[in-house]
Amino acid sequence: MAPVELRLNGLCKRFRDVVAVHDASLVIRGGEVLALLGENGAGKSTLMRLAYGMVRPDAGHIEIDARRVRFDAPRDAVAAGIGMVFQQFSLIDTLSVRENLALAWPRAPWWLGRDARRPGALDAHLARLVPGVDPRARTGDLAVGVRQQIEIAKVLLREARCVILDEPTAVLTPAEAGALHARVRALARDGFAVVLITHKTADVRACADRVAVMRAGRVVGEAPAADAADARIVEWMVGVAPAPAAARPARAADTPVRLSVRGLCAGPVRDVALDVHAGEIVAVAGVSGSGQVALAEALTGLRPLDAGQVTLDGQALRAPGRPARPVAALAAIPADPRRTAIAPSRSLAVNLALKRLAVQPWRVRRAALEEQARAPIARFDVRPPDPRRPAGTLSGGNLQKLVIARELQGDPTAVVACYPTMGLDVVATAQVRDAMLTLAANGCAVLWFGEDLDDLLAHAHRIVVMFDGRLVADLDAHTATPQQVGVWMSGHAIAPDPLRQAA
Amino acid sequence: MTTVAALAATPLRAAFVRAAAAIGVFAALASLFFVSIGQPPATMFVEIARAAAGSGYAVGESLVRATPIMLCALATLVPARLGLVSVGADGQLYAGAIVGTGALLAWPLAPGPVLLSAVLVGGAIGGALWALGPALLRAFVPVHETISTLMLNWVAAMLVTWLVHGAWRNPASQGWPASIEFPDTARLPVLGDSRVHAGLALALVLAVVLHAVLTRTRSGLVLDVLRDNPRLQAVTGCAVAPRIVATMLVGGAFAGLAGIVETSVVQGRLQSDLANGAGLAGFLVAWLAGNRVPQTVALALLVGAVLAAGDGLQIATAVPSSATLVVQGLMFVALLAVGGASARWRGVGHGRG
Repeated sequence: MAPVELRLNGLCKRFRDVVAVHDASLVIRGGEVLALLGENGAGKSTLMRLAYGMVRPDAGHIEIDARRVRFDAPRDAVAAGIGMVFQQFSLIDTLSVRENLALAWPRAPWWLGRDARRPGALDAHLARLVPGVDPRARTGDLAVGVRQQIEIAKVLLREARCVILDEPTAVLTPAEAGALHARVRALARDGFAVVLITHKTADVRACADRVAVMRAGRVVGEAPAADAADARIVEWMVGVAPAPAAARPARAADTPVRLSVRGLCAGPVRDVALDVHAGEIVAVAGVSGSGQVALAEALTGLRPLDAGQVTLDGQALRAPGRPARPVAALAAIPADPRRTAIAPSRSLAVNLALKRLAVQPWRVRRAALEEQARAPIARFDVRPPDPRRPAGTLSGGNLQKLVIARELQGDPTAVVACYPTMGLDVVATAQVRDAMLTLAANGCAVLWFGEDLDDLLAHAHRIVVMFDGRLVADLDAHTATPQQVGVWMSGHAIAPDPLRQAA
Repeated sequence: MTTVAALAATPLRAAFVRAAAAIGVFAALASLFFVSIGQPPATMFVEIARAAAGSGYAVGESLVRATPIMLCALATLVPARLGLVSVGADGQLYAGAIVGTGALLAWPLAPGPVLLSAVLVGGAIGGALWALGPALLRAFVPVHETISTLMLNWVAAMLVTWLVHGAWRNPASQGWPASIEFPDTARLPVLGDSRVHAGLALALVLAVVLHAVLTRTRSGLVLDVLRDNPRLQAVTGCAVAPRIVATMLVGGAFAGLAGIVETSVVQGRLQSDLANGAGLAGFLVAWLAGNRVPQTVALALLVGAVLAAGDGLQIATAVPSSATLVVQGLMFVALLAVGGASARWRGVGHGRG
C-alpha cells in the first residue's frame, strides 16, 4: 500500500454566524499518527468532517497525493481512501459482528448465507484486527472498547488509507485506551495515516508522532510530538499558560459522616456500604461495566433501590420504593447529563430551575426564571450566556457546566458526581474540579466517580474500587499508586476482607 | 435558499411565508386533481370557496363541521403535551355520546338547566372514562397508548350500534336504529335560525383556558419538561404516571364533549356513525398544528370549512362529495410538505460538529 498524503489547504467553514474553521491547513501523511488537539468548539471535529466530506468547505480545497479532490458526501471520501470513526458508533447493535462487517464491505457477495457466514474473508479480517472476538457475538453485548475496535476494522474493510478517530478515548477506560493506543501505533506501522482528534495530552504521549493544535477555528501550532511539551500544547489550546492544578484541600480529622450508604443493591450493584465524611473527597474507580454508573444512578435517584438505604446528614435520602425527590442539600451530577438531567428543548432558565419546578408558584413567570438564571450562568461561565436559549443547543462542555451550576445552587452538603469532567476541555475541567475542591474545603462530602485514575489519585482523599458490582477496595489516595488501584480494578486481587486489609 | 432564508428572517414573516407556500402547494396539487377528473380548476376553487363561506348558511355549516373536529383536536393535543400519542378521540367521542344520552334516559323529566348540565357533564365523563383504561395501562403496565386507544375506538362505535339497535332504540322510530330525540331542554342553544350552536363557543372558551394553562402555569411547564425528557422525574420530583392519567382524562373529556354536543344539538339523537371522521381529522389537525392551541383552533376551522364545502359542492357541481375528501387529503399533504421543508431550511437535524 502506497502511503497516502492528504493535504487540507486553507479550509474555511462557517455555520450561519459562527466561524467553525478559518483558513486551516494541515498535512496528513501515511505511516504517521497525527494528534489533532483543541478545546471544545475549537473546530477540530469540523475540520475532520470537511476532510471526510460530511461538511463542504466555503473556501479552500483538499488534495490527495498532490491531486485536487472534491468531496460532496462521505462516500466520495471513502472512495478516496478516507475513513472516520465517530464517538457515536455506526454499528447496528442487534446484528452480529460479522453481519455488521458484511454490511460495510464493498466486495460482499450477494449471497451472504446465514449470519453472513459465507465470506470467510470477514472472519480472517476480524481475527487480524480484533483478535479474540467471536464473529457471531451480538454487537450490542460487547464492551465499548471492543465495539470501537470493530468500527476501526469496518473502516479498514473499505480500504481506507487514512483513518480519522473522533475523540476515541473519551468513552474508554484506561485499559481500553491502552489497547486503542497500541492499535493506532500498529496502523501507522503498517503505513496508514491516522488522525486522532482529542483534547487529552495523555493520548499524545501514548501514541502520536506529530501534534497539531486548533483554537477558535485556526491551526495555531504544529510540532513533532517529542518536541511539544504538555504545557506548550495546553498553552496553544487555551491561549494562555496553564495555571498549576489546585491541591486537594487538607482534611480535618474526625469530621462527621454526611453521606452514608448501607447494604445498597440496585441492578448490578451488590451490597455496597460506604461513608463519606464532611470535607472528604472519595473517588470511585472501576473498569467500565463494574457497576459504578449504576451506583451513581441509585444515589442520584435515577435508578430504584432493590435493597439498602442511603442517608444524608442522618436524613433518609434513598430507600427501596421511595420515589426520587430533588433534595437541595444533594448535588447530583449524573453521567451523560444530556439524557438524564436536561430538558433539551427548554430554555437554560427552565433547566436551571428544574429542582425547584414542583414548588414554583402555580403561575410561572418566565422573566423571573430568566432573572434567577443569570447568576449561575455567569458563575460557571455557561456559553452562550443566554437564559432563553434551548439547553439542547449547548455544546457538551457547556451542558455539563449548566447541570453543575444548577446542582450547586442550593449550597449542597454532599455532591455525587459521575464523570463530571468527561468530554470537557482543559479550562472547563479545571473549573469543575476546582468547584468540587472548594466545596470539600467548605465541609461538603464529595463522592466522585471518575475515569482518569491520575486525576482521582491527585485530588481525592480516599479511593474506593468497584468490581463486579461490589466495592472491593478502600484505599488512602495519598499513598495508593495507579498500579495498586489497577490491580483491584481488574479483580485479580480479591482478598477475603479487602476493606479491612486496605485500611 | 438564500431568498427563503432572507424572507424567513422574523418568526411572524416566517409564518406568513409558510402559509403562502402551503397555499401555493395546495393549489397546485388540487389543480392537478381537478384537471384529472375533468373539471376546470379555477371554477372549482371558486365553488369550494363559495360552498365553504359564500353565504351565512355556508359559514354556519362550516362552523358546525368544525366544532367536533376542534374538540377532538384538543383531545389529541392535551396528552400530546406530555408526549403521548392518543388516537382515541373517536372512541372517546362515542363514549361521551353514550354516557350523555344515558343521563337523558335516566332523568328525562329533570328541569332544563339540570338536565342540560347532566347531559354535558355526562358526555365529558364518558369520554374521560373511555380514556382511563389506556391511561392506566400506559402509566403502570406499560401498554402503548396509541394501540390501546385505537382498538377501543371500534369497541365504542360498536357499543353505540348495539345500544341503538337494542336497549335504547326509540320504539316510535319504526325500525330506524336511534335513541329517542333530545328534548329542547337537553340541547345547547343555537344561533338564530342557523345550526351553529353554543358548543362552538364552549369549545373556544375551553381552548382559551387550555392555552393559558399549558403556556402560563406550572402544570403546563411540568408537561413541557417531562415531554422533553421523562427521566427528569428524578431531578424534578414530578412523577410521570399521574400526569399520564390526568392528561389522558382531560383529553378524553374534550372528545366526550364533542360526542354529546354532536348527538344532542346537531343530530338530535344517538345513532351510529355520529363521529363522521371527526376523531381522525382532529388528530391530523393537532399534529399539523404542532400541538399548539391557537394554530389548532385555526386549522380546525379551516378543515371544517373544506369538509362542509364538500357537501355544498355536490349540490352545486357534478362532482361527488368524495372528491372533497381527496381535496382535504391534498390540503394535509401540502401542510405537511411545507412544514417539513421549512424544518429543513431552519437547519433542524443538521447539527454542528
